[in-house]
Amino acid sequence: MRYNRIIRTVWTMERRQFFKTLAGSSLLLGANAGTFLCDLFAFQDTANLSRVEARYYKKLPDREIECQLCPRNCKLGDKERGYCGVRENIGGTYYTLVYGKACTANVDPIEKKPFFHFLPGSKAFSIATAGCNLNCKFCQNWQISQVRAEQVRPLDLPPQDVVVNALSYKCPSISYTYTEPIVYFEYMYDTAIQARTKGIKNCVVTAGHIHREPLLDLIKVVDAIKIDLKSFSQDFYTNYVRGELQPVLEAIKTVHQSKVWLELVYLVIPTLNDDVEGIREMSQWIRKEIGPDVPLHFSRFQPMYLVQNLPPTPVSTLEKAHDIALGEGLHYVYIGNVPGHRAESTFCPRCQNVIIERVGFELNRIDLDGGKCKFCHNPIPGIWA
Amino acid sequence: MNESRVAAIRGKGVINQAGELSQLKVAEMIRRGLKILTGSPNADDGFGQIFARNDRVGIKISTIGGRKISSRPEVSLTLADLLVKSGLHERNIIIWDRTNRELKEAGYRLSSSSNGLKVFGTDMDGAGYETELVSHLNIGSLFSTIQTNFVTASISLAILKDHGLAGVTAGMKNYFGSIHNPNKYHDSHCNPFVAELFDTALIKRKHKLSILDGLVVQYHRGPSYHAQWAEACGVLVFSRDPVAADSVGWQMIEKLRAKKGLPSLQEDKREPAYLMTAEKMGLGRAGADQIQIIEDEV
Repeated sequence: MRYNRIIRTVWTMERRQFFKTLAGSSLLLGANAGTFLCDLFAFQDTANLSRVEARYYKKLPDREIECQLCPRNCKLGDKERGYCGVRENIGGTYYTLVYGKACTANVDPIEKKPFFHFLPGSKAFSIATAGCNLNCKFCQNWQISQVRAEQVRPLDLPPQDVVVNALSYKCPSISYTYTEPIVYFEYMYDTAIQARTKGIKNCVVTAGHIHREPLLDLIKVVDAIKIDLKSFSQDFYTNYVRGELQPVLEAIKTVHQSKVWLELVYLVIPTLNDDVEGIREMSQWIRKEIGPDVPLHFSRFQPMYLVQNLPPTPVSTLEKAHDIALGEGLHYVYIGNVPGHRAESTFCPRCQNVIIERVGFELNRIDLDGGKCKFCHNPIPGIWA
Repeated sequence: MNESRVAAIRGKGVINQAGELSQLKVAEMIRRGLKILTGSPNADDGFGQIFARNDRVGIKISTIGGRKISSRPEVSLTLADLLVKSGLHERNIIIWDRTNRELKEAGYRLSSSSNGLKVFGTDMDGAGYETELVSHLNIGSLFSTIQTNFVTASISLAILKDHGLAGVTAGMKNYFGSIHNPNKYHDSHCNPFVAELFDTALIKRKHKLSILDGLVVQYHRGPSYHAQWAEACGVLVFSRDPVAADSVGWQMIEKLRAKKGLPSLQEDKREPAYLMTAEKMGLGRAGADQIQIIEDEV
């Protein structure tokens, strides 16, 4: 399947030549040294930021606020920016700076998210804004997630325009993805509501580092959520993610208890989170708390961002993790970022036949009939249409 | 080992009753500070000890606080003027911070003149951030091209403020404004991030002088401006030791807090631990017994 990149991510960097020009000037010092102030002039502001009041925050005395969107609970004085870099206290009111300001928008195969049990073979109109409430050292999209709102040059794409684009590209879903959608909660939420009125589904790709109240509101308006479980160790979350594990586990349970479709991804990083016992413990937790039917994707790591000293994950490591999870009773365990691997496909847990055959983001065939295995009629959980 | 020298210069009448600054008095304070700091007979020689004639000097200011509590134009422009008078080329001096918007809100007018003084933010068209990450200890950031490409010698001209997370924000933390992601370094009281950022070669090798603007000090509820907790102290602090300068600034804030009946930063569980980290990393001296403070008044 091909996908169109309709809007380029624009990143305002790489400006070395400017300074070479300035520094190389041979003009002499002006005669009016000491009168700098009156010689100077003003430029126009160019940052394209929104100023829409944020949700989930508390006003405090002395123009301070406390953000209640994610477990960081950033407490900010006037003019200060949250950890996410895209929400700012201006005079005691908290604002999102990225409402309707998409830094990237693409038409992607849904398998890229990855969602394997949600509208397989379909396209998702996929958007993101700048910002993230974590700082994973292995971030694959750090150029847009680990920057502040003004460090990208966004497209003005208000909720209604996102929906119009999804319709025009014949996408049955809108995906909030690439960076961390939680930090653009208001934009995502309002878009999701408008999308539903047009029969378009909504899927969220998140790290799940969110408070319960906003998550409960979110699951009322979306159809599928994929949560990146980065590790099953708080030490890993402290040192490599800069976040908390427990709220993520709580978010997974909350989504599972709702009607929203849930999938989990675990990026396996050599030496950092690939220990057998950790993966076994996580698989047992998933089996016990969520049940055997949640799809679990073990994804292959590629050296990126601040972890460039490690090799890509050996396929054998992924296969070991895969086997552990299956051995602990999970039914739908996948291997990702290894195009052509057999574990990209969906197997019926009863008859063991391949029921959805994938190669990379391509679908070769789907042997489902009304959400059941075509061979043995075993119901396969998911949102199939 | 010699003590680190810090000059704290009080300007008598530097702020008038209307809250306006006397630039003449500021110039006098800077000249006196440089003389004391360097032991030179005059400020020009003092600057000459610190900067080479062909240096491109970056005056990194802090403008997040708006007009009320940012590095003041009256100070930075006067400093630039004195640098020029000491023999540096005007075109080789830049006053800078993160964004043009913040600079303007703090009272600056912008200039990108090729042959004159430059005043602009990293977001200036043509500037921006490097595309190569600098990864050092817990730091992973893109640096402003102003710091990487233009500046060969750096002055941190920071406003001295209480800080709800770091305890104190002064000359070292001012360099948070030279990277693209300072919001990622406010966990655990900004420690060890302030020290580790300073320890990057792009800062440590270029930093030559710390000047703390303590003309009006926000001693409580910072870093935002709150008139009821801002004291007109009329002081500028100078040091070539970035840790010692900030340590003296910290003690100024503690004295003000004690005078106003506020708990100390230690009692508030937010003493600036990054200073101790910086000392351990060999970036300077934080202990009072290792700092020679020379106070003077002009």
